[in-house]
Amino acid sequence: MGKLSKEEVKKLIEKSYELRVNILKMMRFGEAHIGGAYSSIDIMTVLYNKILRHDPKNPKWSDRDRFILSAGHKCMALYVTLADQGYFNEDILWTYNTINTKVQMHPDEKMLAGVEFPTGSLGHGFPVANGIALTAKLDKKNYRVFVMLGDGECAEGSIWEASMSAANHKLDNLIAVVDRNSLQVNGRTSEIMDSSPLEDKFNSFGWEVEIIDGHDFNQIYESLSITPFKSGKPSCIIADTIKCKGLTFGEDKFSFHHWHCEADKINNAIDVVGNVKRKELEKIGLYK
Amino acid sequence: MGCINKNNNIFDDPRKVIASALVELGKINKNITYISCDSSLGASGDPFRKSFPERHFEFGIQEASSMGTAAGMAISGKIPFITAYVPFITYRCFEQIRDDVCKTNLNVNIMGNNCGLSVSSLGPTHVILEDAAVLKALPNITIISPADGPEYKQAILAAAQLNSPVYLRIHRKKTKRLNSEGYKFKIGKGSILREGSDVTVIANSTMVAKSLEAAEILQREKIDAEVINMHTLKPIDSDVILKSSSKTKKVVTVEEHSIVGGLGSSVSDVLIKDNPVKLKMIGIEDKFAIVGQYDELLDYYGLTGPKIASTIGNFLM
Repeated sequence: MGKLSKEEVKKLIEKSYELRVNILKMMRFGEAHIGGAYSSIDIMTVLYNKILRHDPKNPKWSDRDRFILSAGHKCMALYVTLADQGYFNEDILWTYNTINTKVQMHPDEKMLAGVEFPTGSLGHGFPVANGIALTAKLDKKNYRVFVMLGDGECAEGSIWEASMSAANHKLDNLIAVVDRNSLQVNGRTSEIMDSSPLEDKFNSFGWEVEIIDGHDFNQIYESLSITPFKSGKPSCIIADTIKCKGLTFGEDKFSFHHWHCEADKINNAIDVVGNVKRKELEKIGLYK
Repeated sequence: MGCINKNNNIFDDPRKVIASALVELGKINKNITYISCDSSLGASGDPFRKSFPERHFEFGIQEASSMGTAAGMAISGKIPFITAYVPFITYRCFEQIRDDVCKTNLNVNIMGNNCGLSVSSLGPTHVILEDAAVLKALPNITIISPADGPEYKQAILAAAQLNSPVYLRIHRKKTKRLNSEGYKFKIGKGSILREGSDVTVIANSTMVAKSLEAAEILQREKIDAEVINMHTLKPIDSDVILKSSSKTKKVVTVEEHSIVGGLGSSVSDVLIKDNPVKLKMIGIEDKFAIVGQYDELLDYYGLTGPKIASTIGNFLM
């Protein structure tokens, strides 16, 4: 495992903020789950650019690493990432919220190359990821399965069933990333259904756990690139994030779980995101 | 005309037939996997586990996530057979069946053990009389209720071949062998086991044998009943229903299932559109099951050969 160079970090920051702008552009066509998309997009940017073994030109390559978005409503982040990677033409993004669009409010594997499994109903993607990881073991393949969860989603019983069985079946090719933005649709997760201490729960279920800052590209990269943390055990990365990170007036507000931006306000929002990008680069001395 | 084996008195245990069919299947197709929800030993998975331990997966009592895991296996190239008691492998994980298995149209084979009144003494939490009705509403699913040993075996083999979800309703009671070993089972194609001209009797699962028994009783009263084994509830074989009902003008359905949304309802859907003849549905009324011995309950619900014959006789009057 190496560290990211400053230049690499700069590229990743620029990429993740370019993708955030694309999400806003999609929102010219209607409301979206922007909060979770913005909290998770730094992780997805690192995954698709630095971690996953994949080939957008051959999306069904049998040895590819799989990414399952169990918290399917974060899919705006996935769409802009997949388009950027070349899985499909970017023009598809601009059909959002129109009849028969392929970029639905929850992802569909039959619609878009790169979407591994349809998700949306919470608590479904994680057990599916288990099944794919079991297949990899059975077929003696080396691919890994990454599954992204939300911390609100962790109230679902099926998450803990899957967590128990992944450890039971020693799925060290499975990596769960919890986008812990601490908010869900109706408020603060700790007040709606307190899942803390999440790390202790995963630990006691037989997982190796790391907690990272989900907006620190070095931490994201370093953690993802040393998975599995331990042979014979599934790995869990709890990424502390900020809901709607990058859109300052929406940050850490549950009302931005799902947000409708008036069309004439999109450009202003794009400017706000641009300013945050500049500050992020300045913070690490990379803005010129 | 189906391949009826008239003069025998052979009874098959569905679980044993399925167990050996799965081993046979496992030998010829290395992608077959078995997912047990603490159900393998009591169901049909133990011989498979012994033959292919690496392809047998125990998931304990967690049917919701196990169904999702089966979908994950299927989308990555495996052909899972997943099993548990009917209520747990249908209702507990209904949304996983809908979203993860049916919407994706994956080759996941769901084996619902102990359907109908099979485990009548366990009470209504375990005796499920509406499973077929509930699952029938889902797009892409095929629902099969085999009538005898050869059909259970063929259904297992056919389910693996069909590249889409299958729900197999598996009864616990031994079934009288109706079909010869050479029987050609085809999903979605009803099988005429007895030709007749006065009334069409359409049945599935255990009620096929009971309907044949009823037909023999009716014959003594000069009533000539045609008996169709409608092993596939979905997709329903409209052709055989319409052809037979055009001849007899009267139809009776017989099922060990609620008459709400079951076989009778599917047959009714076909008839009302294309040949609206008189229809009598024999099954269990819209109620939760009472508790009792299996044979007692069949009698209570009017599902014995003589009672079916009597109901049909009254219907034809």
